[in-house]
Amino acid sequence: MDLLKAIVERRSVRSFQTDPVPEDTLRRLVEAGIWAPSGGNAQTWRFIIVTDGVSIRRLKMLSPGLLGNPPAVIVICQDIAEAERKGAKLGKEVLSLMDSAMAAQNIILAAYAEGLGTCIIRSFHPGGVQKLLRLPDYIEPHALISVGVPASVPKPPKRNFDIVSFREYNEND
Amino acid sequence: MISSIEPKVFELISYMVTSACTLLNENRLYGPFRLIDAASRLITLLEEEGLRSKRLKEIRERIVAGQNCVMEDEKVFTDFLQDLVLDLIPLMKDETV
Repeated sequence: MDLLKAIVERRSVRSFQTDPVPEDTLRRLVEAGIWAPSGGNAQTWRFIIVTDGVSIRRLKMLSPGLLGNPPAVIVICQDIAEAERKGAKLGKEVLSLMDSAMAAQNIILAAYAEGLGTCIIRSFHPGGVQKLLRLPDYIEPHALISVGVPASVPKPPKRNFDIVSFREYNEND
Repeated sequence: MISSIEPKVFELISYMVTSACTLLNENRLYGPFRLIDAASRLITLLEEEGLRSKRLKEIRERIVAGQNCVMEDEKVFTDFLQDLVLDLIPLMKDETV
């Protein structure tokens, strides 16, 4: 699949069919995430794949942004202690967030290439998700990604392309 | 009846309680969005438990059709909410369900 085409055509999907996503497919998606760049090559991310209905229902109770009924959810976490050890304050407070975001982008594009819909979710209660998934204190959940066969795909929201400057910043009114 | 509906009510209540907390630090439009989404979920829950109501079904259909524009266009979303409220008025008067 053409990469630019995938970037442009991928949408955030919030309505899914009930078909399960095979475990090897989910592993491929997470492997795509692991191939993302990371600040200082820290690779302090951790991934939890949730596919059983009861756990997803519980996750939804703590995650208002987790809409629809996806058959799988990938939880992207960071080992904050390791991120601080490797990258000091910048690693813990900034790079770990960027790394999670870059892994998430790889995962959703890989999912699109597999014909799957996804949505990246940050509207959840981190402490609640941490407790529900029995994460140790130093493993922080950064994002959830719902994964499944789309039941419907939204239209692309408008994009503003008039925000690019060359050489120096130009205010565009 | 009570025991079958309790887990669904618990899910909805958990969703609302968690929303109250997460909304403290979220986009201001997410508050209205969560409220109408909760209304839609409540209608679904009651329907699954045997309640039949034409007007509740109609409200849910309108919510489902319009709620996701919150992510796309603020003006469209606020107009959608205004229309949703005004559309309640004829439904208030129609008690034939």
